[in-house]
Amino acid sequence: MIRLLLIRLLQLPLILAVVFAVTFALTWIIPGNPLENPEGKRPPAEVQEAMKAQYNLDSWHSFLRGYVAGVVHGDFGPSLEYKDWRVTQIIASGLPVSMLLGLGSLMLALGIGVGVGMIGALRPGSVLDLGSLGIALLGISLPTFVTGTMLLALFAGTLQWIPVGGWASPVDMILPALTLSLPAAAYIARLIRLGLGEVMTSNFVRTARAKGLTRRRVLFDHALKVAFLPVLSFLGPAAAAAMTGSFVVEKIFVIPGLGQHFVKAVSSKDQFLILGVVLIYATMLVLFNLAVDLAYAWFDPRIDLAAPV
Amino acid sequence: MALMTSSLLISSSLPFVVVGAGAVDSVTSTTDLTELERVTRLDVLPDIAEDHRVRLTILYLLLLCTAPVLVWLTGSDQRRADFTWAVGTEPNTLDPQRMSWLKDIRLAECLFEPLVRMRMPDMIPEPAAARAWTVSNDGLTYTFSLRDNARWSNGDAVRASDFVYAWRRAMLPDSSADYIGLMHCIEGAKAFFHFRTEQVTAYRKGSTHSASAAARLHEATVAHFDQTVGVRAIDDHTLCVQLVRRTPYFIELCAFATFMPVHAASHRRFVEPDPGTGMLKTDTQWIKPDHLVSNGPYRLARWRFKRDILLVANTDYWNAADVGPRTIVQRIIESPATQWLSFRGGEVDWLPELPSTSTMVADLVAEGRDTVHVIPGAGTYFYNFNCKPYFTDGRENPLADPRVRRALSMAVDRSTLVTKVTRLGQPIARTFVPVDVLPGYSAPTDAGLVFDLANAKRLLAEAGHADGRGLEGLAIMYNTGAGHERIAQAIKAMWQEHLGVSVTLEGVEGRRFSDRLKNQDYAIARAGWFGDYRDPTTFLDKFLAENGNNDAAWSNPAFDAMLAEAAMTAEVPARIALLEQAEALMLDEQPIMPLFHYVSVHVFDAKRVRNLWPNAWHLRRLERVQISR
Repeated sequence: MIRLLLIRLLQLPLILAVVFAVTFALTWIIPGNPLENPEGKRPPAEVQEAMKAQYNLDSWHSFLRGYVAGVVHGDFGPSLEYKDWRVTQIIASGLPVSMLLGLGSLMLALGIGVGVGMIGALRPGSVLDLGSLGIALLGISLPTFVTGTMLLALFAGTLQWIPVGGWASPVDMILPALTLSLPAAAYIARLIRLGLGEVMTSNFVRTARAKGLTRRRVLFDHALKVAFLPVLSFLGPAAAAAMTGSFVVEKIFVIPGLGQHFVKAVSSKDQFLILGVVLIYATMLVLFNLAVDLAYAWFDPRIDLAAPV
Repeated sequence: MALMTSSLLISSSLPFVVVGAGAVDSVTSTTDLTELERVTRLDVLPDIAEDHRVRLTILYLLLLCTAPVLVWLTGSDQRRADFTWAVGTEPNTLDPQRMSWLKDIRLAECLFEPLVRMRMPDMIPEPAAARAWTVSNDGLTYTFSLRDNARWSNGDAVRASDFVYAWRRAMLPDSSADYIGLMHCIEGAKAFFHFRTEQVTAYRKGSTHSASAAARLHEATVAHFDQTVGVRAIDDHTLCVQLVRRTPYFIELCAFATFMPVHAASHRRFVEPDPGTGMLKTDTQWIKPDHLVSNGPYRLARWRFKRDILLVANTDYWNAADVGPRTIVQRIIESPATQWLSFRGGEVDWLPELPSTSTMVADLVAEGRDTVHVIPGAGTYFYNFNCKPYFTDGRENPLADPRVRRALSMAVDRSTLVTKVTRLGQPIARTFVPVDVLPGYSAPTDAGLVFDLANAKRLLAEAGHADGRGLEGLAIMYNTGAGHERIAQAIKAMWQEHLGVSVTLEGVEGRRFSDRLKNQDYAIARAGWFGDYRDPTTFLDKFLAENGNNDAAWSNPAFDAMLAEAAMTAEVPARIALLEQAEALMLDEQPIMPLFHYVSVHVFDAKRVRNLWPNAWHLRRLERVQISR
């Protein structure tokens, strides 16, 4: 296990370097000048040139040199869109928020998904089972901007139980976490239900049942661990995606997270912010996948981490 | 922030501790049994399973509660401010010399006080940081006497040198001020910019690159400024400005953000010449709440990225007694629907920037609510025609013929556009300068075009394009994501139906759109333009041949001559008449097709929120607002 950990951690800088190179190349290929306002008036040409020079945007090699020099000092550059902020400040203000929301929504998704999936598996073929699969289908199909807006309009608009968006108190977390969790919960419910359905017919379960354990006991204590493995695989990238924020949910519920920057930085061609945000996402993806791989071993002792995959 | 990260780290490592402990226990308790015994030990298995279950449940609950607990711990004071408004985007910058967005200027007016401010609601310039000023007979020399009791928020007196420092900043290429053009009326400003540009270019190409060399370069720049530019601090409370030519609107310009002062002594600490490029590098921390020194009615108390900005009444402001709301909060709410819900729920007092292109907003306006106010703006929505003889790909450009442009313009039914497409009922535009927004200037509507199909067809035939022949392959280009598609589709349909001209629609992403517009890589392109100051030249200068914003690449020497003559004319009526004639000349040739004049949609309860005085020029005195609950 330690060996796996070390190897993966050593691979991380290499992966990041490749991600950086590809993103850097792409941002230079995208046409357009990030310093120009499409709706506004153009300052004189010399001013535009001066602005470009200031940000090292006049050529790709000066940009690269300036960027690497900055990164060595822990400075990921200024934002081109929000001129008074640096990329590290933007990420530092947005990442914790997105991570907390992601954590909350994942836990909710796990709770809802495992619960619904298990209910279905307890009574296979019943109304409860078919109903839960049906709800799961709905959860996967409905986009978050639909469920989010509906929940907001209902609970904050009509009933006024919850303030309209913002990130001031734990109450503000409820609706966005719920909205974010629904698609994942639906997917987890399906995985658990189908996985359990399969596991319940396997040999070790038959043995346990033969020994006299109740169906419920078998389900909770033995079968779930095995059926949980596919969910674990799903959780790795899902955690990375949830933690780095969802553009749609953050917009609807006014959450000051990192998700919106993924999209907006590209449309405003804010090269520094794009690079910073992409590198963060790549790091989290690698780390979460590593965590998932380590967790695998604990869940199913049959898996040998040291063995080549 | 540190608390949150460390708590997050601790709570995320806890699971591994719990799980690890569980894993170890289950292994040691069963290794000493044989295979058969292990399988048949019914009493052992349930215990292990129960331990697992308990541990897993604890782990799960821990993770579930981490987020809400941390949010609760780091949540901040949610006391309602005296006056709250919501906008859709985070400030681009709060640096007064660098800003150009209206939403930023709105905040700058609260933080900084320029020499003069516009008195509302009559929109007359009145003394602000300056208590009085005199103008020489030739209109070229302005002498401002600053108030003796004007103070910065750290107690320092507001000095003339603070204005000199700020205005010099605006004229430096190092600051890349969007509105540097406004400074060009000051003697020596344009030349100073070129001087510095050459200086810096020479430095970059040169061999000596060191901190001391860059510092010396800057000193030379400042000395050059003092010698050649017409902005001087005669003493601590007297500022003298020398203009290039008579500029009737100069006093109003002094109220603009670019002309606001900056506390030189504290700002200097954040500026350093960069040894590599020779240019001044400014640490943007100077504009943050911890460091910003302001002389306006408010000071910056808190600025949370993409969340909110808190302004608190500045006790050192010379007119602090007259300030209404003691605290102001600007919230960032991107989605217009959420903005509306916040207003309805009473969380926000004013929505100044509901996007007029949103269908939700059009619905709100159509419902006729008394909290939704539609205010005509000093801006025009129009289409550019490429007036160059050839397109960038070498094809001949049929739009170079003014008759074709006029015909196309006459075939657009503008009233359908504003009633059925945008549904906001904007004023139809026949001229480029909006009607009724400039006192004393009558926009030449007679020279503009009306919906006239007969004449349109005739003109088109005259130009040799009857029934749209020879006009294939034209495209209407617009920037995506800002609601321009519907208008473009409507116009495309109108041209097809009435003239037989078939165009395609080309939605282009924002930054790319700007590029192509600038280089005339288009046939017809959508555009908008707002006036910056209350003089017709803010609209008409755009059509000068050498103007960087002349996207249509239209040039008419007679037009340029008229504008030049107007610049030399002292007498107001004669000058205005010249400008009106110039606009009429431009409209005759239709390098652009004006469609409608902008409106802005404001949401507020006029019974509760008084003294907002919404107007076409977005002039405000927010410290005068009165809110009753």
